[in-house]
Amino acid sequence: MSDKVYGGKCTSCGTVSYPRRAVCPKCRNESFEKVAIEGEGKVLTYTDVYALAIDYETRYLRLAIVELDSGQRATGQLLADDPKLGMRIKTTIGVVREQGEREIHGLQFVPV
Amino acid sequence: MKPVYIAGAGMTKFGRAEWSLIRLASEASRSALHHANLGEIPVDGVVVANMGAARVNKQTALGSALVDQLALYPAMAEAVENGPASGASAFKVGVQAIASGMADVVLVTGVERMRTVNGLEGTDFVASLSHPEAEYIYGVTLPSLAGLFARLVMDRFGVERKHLAMVAIKNHLNATKNPYAHIQQTVTMEGILTLPEAAVNNPPIAEPLHMFDCCPVSDGAAAVVLVSEDVAAKLGGPKVRVAGIGQATDTHAVHDREDPTDLKAVRLASEKAFAMAELKPSDVDVVELHDAFTILEIVESEAAGFFPRGEGHLALERGETALDGKLPINPSGGLKAKGHPVGATGVAHLVELTWQLRGEADGRQVKDAKTAYACNFGGFGNNVVASVLQREAK
Repeated sequence: MSDKVYGGKCTSCGTVSYPRRAVCPKCRNESFEKVAIEGEGKVLTYTDVYALAIDYETRYLRLAIVELDSGQRATGQLLADDPKLGMRIKTTIGVVREQGEREIHGLQFVPV
Repeated sequence: MKPVYIAGAGMTKFGRAEWSLIRLASEASRSALHHANLGEIPVDGVVVANMGAARVNKQTALGSALVDQLALYPAMAEAVENGPASGASAFKVGVQAIASGMADVVLVTGVERMRTVNGLEGTDFVASLSHPEAEYIYGVTLPSLAGLFARLVMDRFGVERKHLAMVAIKNHLNATKNPYAHIQQTVTMEGILTLPEAAVNNPPIAEPLHMFDCCPVSDGAAAVVLVSEDVAAKLGGPKVRVAGIGQATDTHAVHDREDPTDLKAVRLASEKAFAMAELKPSDVDVVELHDAFTILEIVESEAAGFFPRGEGHLALERGETALDGKLPINPSGGLKAKGHPVGATGVAHLVELTWQLRGEADGRQVKDAKTAYACNFGGFGNNVVASVLQREAK
């Protein structure tokens, strides 16, 4: 299991790509160093989704796009009872999907 | 580029199909070929649009399968998969074949048969277009991306749930005039929003979006016959020209966009299509947009250039996009009520617009429609094809 989620920081211009990609969209450089997508930030938008994909047995799932203080954005699960646009959150890593025996870890956001 | 014309258009009724995938494709194709009335003129190429057959119907190589059904061998044939934009992508491939001089007659058929699997499996198959590591693993589905997008747009531009409901009400009403539409039922503001019962009638799907903000899951097929200028001249009849096509892409993950409320690929694809057509949005008489979710009709109507940014919901409120408005949007009933067999949708847009431009749209005919626009929205906006069609004077 991975205890972090990583983006790729361009070794030439420093732009962080998350998700990672093969070529930097800013300067077209092709080498990156791993950088963790973590820290505090705010909820940019969220939804409670009832139209779930397979693998989920809950009634609904609370998903969010957050903007971290580093400027980086990420999609993940929002573990907040009373979500609001702009609310402060921090990242954690948890089980975001279970495919049979396999647990998939990823970003979860909790209120600060 | 050589001029390209649409000589025929046909489709199956959208909904739950009894027919096999290939039977659906074949029925829509036959209808389009009869409409074109080619006589002895051979079909040079077949392009099939489809997203999910490999997974949902366990069938691949649909181009070959359709050629066989229609006994069109030795025509060139292939299938195009480009997510929900497969239909207009296949159309583009067909247009390219004629514009380049490689073919004179090309059949473009979009088909999807997705009600063979249960809702979970169907939702998951479409969700497979999202980013595998940065979106899909979190339980992201298309409705959830639309919900995230809708909340941001509503907060920023003052769009309210009543505006979303207005899209549904308008498109359901239009669909009652379209015998090919999946859902032939009107809805009211009271029934889906303002009465207490609305909470039951219209449950949440991906907040702030509710059931009547989302298209149904449909089976169906749609087809157009594309021809060169020479063939169009031989056929006579009304001439619908493919005036422009534009396509543009954007980041795979929605969160990765500089401004996630900006449908940049719609904007760029439309600009390209209008530039190629040497026309502008104000020249357009009738529009088909990709309203898989009600919010998309509003924002696409702005990104395509018909209304200023943040004002699409105001034009809707003023009735401008109604069937009798200044710029009718989705006279067919849209994906919302006509249905959304994913691979067929982009072709079905062009079928409706061809009928509109030929004056054959019966109870939903937009008067004197001469120029038409369609937007086929793939991914969640990461791959968009815009088309401009124009009726030529004889």
